[in-house]
Amino acid sequence: MASVIGEPVSAPAAGAVIERRRRPLGNPWRRPWGLEGFTVLYIAWSILPIAVAVLFSFNKGASQATWQGFSTKWYVGGWIQSVANNPELHQAVIQTLRLAGLTTVICVPIGVAFAIGIDRWRGRTSGGLNIVMIFSFVIPELLLAVALFMLVTQLLTFIALGTTAEVAGLVVWNLSWPAIIVRARLVTIGKTYEEAAADLGASQLGAIRRVLMPMLMPAIFASTVLVFASTIDDFVIVEQVSSTAATQPMSVLIYSNVHGGLQGPALNALATIMLFFSLVVAVIGYVAYRWMTRGERKAGATEALTSIAGM
Amino acid sequence: MPGGHVQLQSLTKRFDEVTAVDDISLEIEGGEFFSLLGPSGCGKTTTLRMVAGFEPPTSGSIVLDGVNVARLAPNRRNVNTVFQSYALFPFLTVAENVAFGLKYRSVSKAEITTRVGEALELVQLAGYEKRRPNQLSGGQQQRVALARALVLRPAVLLLDEPLGALDAKLRRTLQVELNALQKQVGITFLYVTHDQEEALTMSDRLAVMNRGKIAQLGTPEQVYSEPTDAYVADFLGVSNLMDATVETSGGAGPCRVRLGEFVLGAEAGDLRATGKVKLAIRPERIHLHPHESTGANQMPGMVERLVFLGSTTQIFVRLANGAALQALERNDGKGLPYSQGTPVRIELPADALRVLPDPGVGVSEIHEETLGDLPLDLATSAAPHS
Amino acid sequence: MRGSSRTDHRRGRLLWIGLAAPGAIWLLVLFVLPFYAMLSVAGGGINAFFQTSVPIWNPLHWSTANLSMVWSNIVGSGAFIGPAMLRTLIYTGIAALLSLAIAYPVAYFVSRYAGRRKALYLVLLIAPFWVSYMMRMLAWIDLLQQGGFFNKALSSVGLPGNTDWLGGKSVTVILGLVYGYIPYLILVLYAGLDRIDGSLLDAARDLGLSRWRTFWRVTVPLSKPTIIAGTFITVLPMIGDYYTNQLMSAAPGTTMIGNVIEGQLEAAGQTGQGAVLSLMLLIVLLIPMIYYVISTARASREYA
Repeated sequence: MASVIGEPVSAPAAGAVIERRRRPLGNPWRRPWGLEGFTVLYIAWSILPIAVAVLFSFNKGASQATWQGFSTKWYVGGWIQSVANNPELHQAVIQTLRLAGLTTVICVPIGVAFAIGIDRWRGRTSGGLNIVMIFSFVIPELLLAVALFMLVTQLLTFIALGTTAEVAGLVVWNLSWPAIIVRARLVTIGKTYEEAAADLGASQLGAIRRVLMPMLMPAIFASTVLVFASTIDDFVIVEQVSSTAATQPMSVLIYSNVHGGLQGPALNALATIMLFFSLVVAVIGYVAYRWMTRGERKAGATEALTSIAGM
Repeated sequence: MPGGHVQLQSLTKRFDEVTAVDDISLEIEGGEFFSLLGPSGCGKTTTLRMVAGFEPPTSGSIVLDGVNVARLAPNRRNVNTVFQSYALFPFLTVAENVAFGLKYRSVSKAEITTRVGEALELVQLAGYEKRRPNQLSGGQQQRVALARALVLRPAVLLLDEPLGALDAKLRRTLQVELNALQKQVGITFLYVTHDQEEALTMSDRLAVMNRGKIAQLGTPEQVYSEPTDAYVADFLGVSNLMDATVETSGGAGPCRVRLGEFVLGAEAGDLRATGKVKLAIRPERIHLHPHESTGANQMPGMVERLVFLGSTTQIFVRLANGAALQALERNDGKGLPYSQGTPVRIELPADALRVLPDPGVGVSEIHEETLGDLPLDLATSAAPHS
Repeated sequence: MRGSSRTDHRRGRLLWIGLAAPGAIWLLVLFVLPFYAMLSVAGGGINAFFQTSVPIWNPLHWSTANLSMVWSNIVGSGAFIGPAMLRTLIYTGIAALLSLAIAYPVAYFVSRYAGRRKALYLVLLIAPFWVSYMMRMLAWIDLLQQGGFFNKALSSVGLPGNTDWLGGKSVTVILGLVYGYIPYLILVLYAGLDRIDGSLLDAARDLGLSRWRTFWRVTVPLSKPTIIAGTFITVLPMIGDYYTNQLMSAAPGTTMIGNVIEGQLEAAGQTGQGAVLSLMLLIVLLIPMIYYVISTARASREYA
């Protein structure tokens, strides 16, 4: 009787079962090492360069390529080129935060209200508006930036180039985040809870306030986090409708100085600061999301992560 | 007038081209346990939702204690609903859930606490105040939903298949509890279900619905023993529907019907009918005799299959003319004198043989209509298609 | 009359419209209207003195002057737009294929085989989202510089270590595109693959298919809509990309259509042509965009 490779079979004498030989690699439950290795390689390729760039922001010398020792001079210290002291760099950090803050504060409430309104308002107009919103999600940013530029300079000239136009454009560009995320969540929630609230005595607005809002909180929070991170990074629209150097956030500053201009590691420092802001926001978002969904069955680490990423 | 008196008058609901509820009228007494029974799509849930206020009727009125509420928003009716999915607010505790509606009744905080406590005691969940819904089992969630509705002391309580998501044993327990609860609080219950056993067990009266209309309305005994049409007969339990023609119409003398080559006497149902009719007989009324016996209303046939059900045995027999019937015998420990393949004589006692108007469709179509897309239940499944 | 004058239900409708209004207005004014402005500039003229563009607002009076200029620059002699268009297609095509080849196995692995470490892998996959685009490109700029790590690594194994990777190489631009956009693709694929019902794959195995066959005959067809959606989300923005090229190369030999548009906007008197080119790009992309929009809208309605 052939035996299974690697496993001694104590075969009973009569009427014994014949085991077929198994191919060594044919174990159907083996772990896919190849795929896993590939994934690990991808992750390394994806993340290591960033780590290097962060590292070089602490470079003592002015090179972005040769390590010359550790120093925080690009960030703080008396040196003119550091972020803390160079007015240009300084200004950029502030502008980034200003844009991100203003945009988030305007975009999220409008987007959430939009999502709720469109979801409940059945009709062709709402379907049309929904389609317009999806278009804004899938269009290349350059086209919108160019169109906005023309709008602001030729038609609605009361919108000044600079922070106003930047915020206006950023809000429109990011509107799809809360709209889509909250809408998806609304579909999952369904109408039953609001009906229950109405049944128990709540007016329509009261049901939204007391029942729908709390249930939407995780989605609202996830979209806030996403909008904030997206605006910190945004660059195409901002560049197009910016006016003076004072209205240039970090992203634009880096872009215009990559091929010359500011010293290399200073850019790394700026980028690292941007990274830091984004990460802080992401961590807050993740923690808050987990906390907010602690009463629900489905929420787990993976749910939270995919929500934060906008799925 | 005792509270909770509901009248539906010519209530109709149309969704575009589909008429979900077709001109139904009924009256529910205060304090009654009333069920709407029917397969999915028959309009029972739509009717309930109109009474609750979630759907505006296309026409007709809903009169609650003398007031037509058909156009009022749900939060302005003295009616509360227990939803099929319970709809407990996941971000609130049990106590907060139950107290939800009280916040709109200008009730003092202290009184809220008292009433919440009372409601939870009523549903046997005292002590669960601080739990969250996701920490409760299905049955417990359902009781919280009940408490949340009852604490507001509505005139009518609407229940939309509340036991649907629970397993069979739990369902049976809760059926008894719900019934007792209703008697205790004395509120009118309007209960929607597709489970005929549930409706028969719990209701004071019930309405069997089909395609937006009421097929029959009455007490459980009436609807089960005296169904007025083939659909109702087939929906409630096994009906053993057969096609037949009337030989001699009742009225002057006894009604006699022809089943293939056999002529039987019938003493129940529409005895004055003529022409084509449907016959119905409950399985427990069919008697099987040895094949050489003789007697009134007996026909030869053969035992096809025996199915052991615990306290009873289902016997599938086939008549000489091809019709298939289901009989039911109690297992009294003495065993049955026949087995698969035994020829027997099948007696359909005249007082149990019911004449029903022929709806113009075959027996198998009626089976399909009553089955809908419900899971098959052995004890109540329709007879095999003839 | 159907008797629909229910004050309670009518008031409800107004509420939803009111909620949607601010967003709707913002979209209309700042998304739809700008394109009308762009059309007017495209169909407009030039103020010869200031070398600025003068938009024509009445659609009936739109001129085709800018259009013909652009057209001659695409197909005429000395055309520079045509090659840029072609190059854009080639770059994005290659980048899309590469991205898919990398993203699919990774997404497949994490969604189906990651087991207990799924959350960890997800964090690592999502991380690039939170790293700004600038940072990620900057990272590669650092690495690919003359004297940077990459060249040093090459020379340490004997290969020539003095290539100017950032001086106008297509390879670099394509790498930049892939690196920049692949996280989106991975996450979209992950979400789609994760949603595939495992019992379907079990059923296939049960019926006799090997792992490989199951993959090709069941998993891939099931994930087709996801692949298409992911490709759209990646390729559409990629076509309008100009900054990757600018960062990674900045040489005229690797310009993409986005760079051309940018250039025309900045050049005096050519804003109208820039507008025309943008509109042409928009029209080309409109068909896949419409397809994506309709299938998304339909999908979300099916769930509702």
